[in-house]
Amino acid sequence: MVTLYKSLQGKPIRVLERIADSLNQLNEKVDVLIELQKHSRGGIAGESLTDVLDVMTLLSLPDHLRKTAITLCNLGQATAEEIAEQTTRARAVESGYLNQLVLMGYLKKERRGRKAYFYVEKEDTGEK
Amino acid sequence: MMGKIIAFHSYKGGTGKTLLSINLAATYARKGKNVCLLDLDFRAPSLQARFKAEGSGYWLNDYLNGVCEIKKVLIDLSHLFSGNGNGKFLVGLANPSTEAIREMTAKDRKWEMRALGRLLSLRNSLLNDMHLDYLIFDTSPGLQYSSINAIVAADVALVVTSLDTSDIKGTQRMTSELYDLFEKKTGIVVNKVLADILSSTAGKENFSEHFHNTHNLPVLDTIPCFCDVLRAGGTCIFAEEKPEHAFAKTVERIAQKIEKL
Repeated sequence: MVTLYKSLQGKPIRVLERIADSLNQLNEKVDVLIELQKHSRGGIAGESLTDVLDVMTLLSLPDHLRKTAITLCNLGQATAEEIAEQTTRARAVESGYLNQLVLMGYLKKERRGRKAYFYVEKEDTGEK
Repeated sequence: MMGKIIAFHSYKGGTGKTLLSINLAATYARKGKNVCLLDLDFRAPSLQARFKAEGSGYWLNDYLNGVCEIKKVLIDLSHLFSGNGNGKFLVGLANPSTEAIREMTAKDRKWEMRALGRLLSLRNSLLNDMHLDYLIFDTSPGLQYSSINAIVAADVALVVTSLDTSDIKGTQRMTSELYDLFEKKTGIVVNKVLADILSSTAGKENFSEHFHNTHNLPVLDTIPCFCDVLRAGGTCIFAEEKPEHAFAKTVERIAQKIEKL
């Protein structure tokens, strides 16, 4: 314990940041687990989890999810934070919505380092 | 200034979307703005015939299919404008062949999703990279995939309607059930209005207000039925060839009002 304390001396802020990051990651994972549980109760677990996010689907989404989905369509790929900047909603809120859209099969999620990127389809991101 | 994407749409066909989109684009070009007009009416392409353009070898169909970049599709028709200080006038055409139309009607949801992505990326390629000031979409009437994609990708949607009851009702439903969901800046243009309704300024204002109340959307203008316009059969770009004509003046007013939406 003492050695750990020594090794952390002088960088308390970075440690706190790391803890906050880890908590955020945990939060997202818990969100996903909660959603998964909801879905399995509904009896659709095991079904294919990919669907197509076309305009007609966008139209059928509830308002709060549509806003997130359209913003992501516009950005191509984004983190919850980048979406939150555009929608002026809280990052945690957007993270929840994005994960819900992933579960519904409309979005894909990829972790790069500490950040989670969301996108509709790989092909349309990056190079254009 | 950031460039702007404007989509012309309507509930019914034949309301004057194409005529208005060509003339709006021409109005901007004459003001020195760089514009690009895209024919997104893949079921009934019309810009190719209107401009008697040769085609660039690539169509907008190819761009949406992911076959080529948008630059390969665009045709430069800036030479159609005679004055000095005109902006660029670029046009992207839809393939008018029956085979191409048939193919476009058979696309699946996944294709439409990618097409939306490609339309959305035009903001980057045309407005940001090529520094165009205006990108104008001419779309298919009604609730077509391609039209809704265009509306989602646009900053401003202009709905052109006639005074036909079915058109008014349909437009109303479409704007309240579709446009509102996408939170688009929307303006209504009432076209082909009989001259006697518009004969007095008071009558015109009454009329606009009535429309504004039923649609809950701003009416950008009411355009009377012009015999000259009909007589020209779509071959004349009034904004360029007859800029003093009342129709050209109306389009100019619409251009100003778009900025205030």
